[in-house]
Amino acid sequence: MDIIISNNSNVPIYEQIKEQFKSKIIAGELSTGELLPSIRVLAKDLRCSVITTKNAYEELEKEGFVKTIPAKGVYVSKINKEIAKEEQLKKIEKMLEDVVILAKINKINKKELNTILSIIYEER
Amino acid sequence: MLGFIKKDLLIVKGNLKTFLLIFVFYAFLAYTGDVDITFILPFLSVMVMMSSFSYDAYNKWDSYALSIPKGRENIVKAKYLVTLILITITSLLVLFLFIFLSYIKKEPLDLDMVFSTFIGNIIGTVLVECVMYPIIFKWGIEKARIAIFALVIIFVVTLGFLISKVDTINLNLVFNYLFKYWYIFTILILLMSLALSIHIYRKKEF
Amino acid sequence: MKKAIEVKNLTKEYKDFKLDNISFTLPVGTIMGFIGENGAGKTTTIKSILDIIKYDGEIKLMDKDNKNEALKDIGVVLDDAFFPEILNAKDINTIMKSTYQNWDSKLYFKYLNDFKIPSKKQIKQLSKGMHKKLEIAVALAHHPKLLILDEPTTGLDPVARSEILEIFQNFMVDPECSIFISSHITSDLEHIADYIVFINEGKILLNEKCHVLLEEYGIVKCKKEELENIAKEDYIRVRKYRYDYELLIKNKKEFKKKYNSEVIDKISLEELMVLMLKGE
Repeated sequence: MDIIISNNSNVPIYEQIKEQFKSKIIAGELSTGELLPSIRVLAKDLRCSVITTKNAYEELEKEGFVKTIPAKGVYVSKINKEIAKEEQLKKIEKMLEDVVILAKINKINKKELNTILSIIYEER
Repeated sequence: MLGFIKKDLLIVKGNLKTFLLIFVFYAFLAYTGDVDITFILPFLSVMVMMSSFSYDAYNKWDSYALSIPKGRENIVKAKYLVTLILITITSLLVLFLFIFLSYIKKEPLDLDMVFSTFIGNIIGTVLVECVMYPIIFKWGIEKARIAIFALVIIFVVTLGFLISKVDTINLNLVFNYLFKYWYIFTILILLMSLALSIHIYRKKEF
Repeated sequence: MKKAIEVKNLTKEYKDFKLDNISFTLPVGTIMGFIGENGAGKTTTIKSILDIIKYDGEIKLMDKDNKNEALKDIGVVLDDAFFPEILNAKDINTIMKSTYQNWDSKLYFKYLNDFKIPSKKQIKQLSKGMHKKLEIAVALAHHPKLLILDEPTTGLDPVARSEILEIFQNFMVDPECSIFISSHITSDLEHIADYIVFINEGKILLNEKCHVLLEEYGIVKCKKEELENIAKEDYIRVRKYRYDYELLIKNKKEFKKKYNSEVIDKISLEELMVLMLKGE
């Protein structure tokens, strides 16, 4: 399992961790009921503080992706993949909306926008 | 406390070559000349302890030792116990040297003389070190060093002066008295010095 | 919440320096970074915690009233105090075996092996990095629950520093363990510390969760006219440069909302420290 965090990003580290776990859960890389590393082991392996990993797990739990069983550990919850995916789609739509608004302000047409999108998509 | 004692003994072990060399040098002097070899005893054990204090000070051992449980009292107690151990060892060495020299020189061993110089030296060493330690614990080895050398010299000179000037019979009386109760005398001084050192060390900051 | 260290109103006066009413708490299971310039009072605080010096105030270790009891579970690395340098690593094992009940010779020699410290070389012959690693091995070998470390990485090269930080993170996997670490190399602490206490001239300037400092605090660069429009309570410090001003702000998000400002930089502990001290 790969988790890559950047210390230079403007995105807080706990959020980076959270998002990466989320995408792994949605993609099925982490399956329902799987035990996640403890906050301390995760902190050690990611070279960050315990509070950071604790925050990440707490956020994940709030959003329903994991469940903490006291004295046992943090487990991946059963999630409805369709709903989860839809949520992600909504997020993408929202972001694209910003993109389109910006494009329209700058008079960039749909074709140009599509080209940029496909280039970025291929590159990543 | 055992750990602190071992620490000092290991320092001695680290410097063993130097100390043995000094011992051999004095043994040689004793063999060739009329030097009073028992002088090695106070000299060697004072020197060994001073070097251990110096090593401690150089690496700020005291600060470190205070982070060990019960560091404060045990540091002081350990120093006194190590002193006693060293006095015992050096005494045995000198005794051995006496026997060895009398064997080589084919002179009979004057047991009375051996015994009295022996005890005189133990008392002397304990006395010097018991005066030394509170001074070292109070002001540190660097400042105390000068005072201690002065003390050693004063002690030796006074002893020499007493032996040469004072009526021998009188002195013998004093010494006889001392020798009779030497263990009480020595233990009393030791305990007083120990109590004073602990008192000083309790208040000390590093 | 269990407390590994609790310092209340610690005050210590010297002729030319005063540690002034310091209070902080290190919760069990966390790392607290103690930062400040040289001479800010870091070592004096640590010496007080360990009873190496006398002080006014109250200090409690591991929730225990008896400090001697607490010291059994504490490992220390002091800035410049250690075993007499004529001894070697093996001697230290002999000494410590008779000193700590929990001393683990096997673990100690494992550390020596891991750190590649020759056990029969006198301490004075070890390199600076090895010397520090030896101190750390000694601090860890009696299975302490709390490490109190005064500048454990100062003077080390980056590789040795990262090795040492890794050791600390491994130590922290046990939730009963805590670390109090002072350093003026703030980048070392940035990633691993849970709390940061920032001390200057004997007073605490900041006591905050580390991630709050890194994520919520920020730097805004602006012109003079812009500065005049920013309310004084919205920034903590301002530093004047020849061409611009640098503001230290406490909450990036709110600042962005209020002033619609685009250029807010992330801050490092080092920048934070400098701005706190050099700004007005």
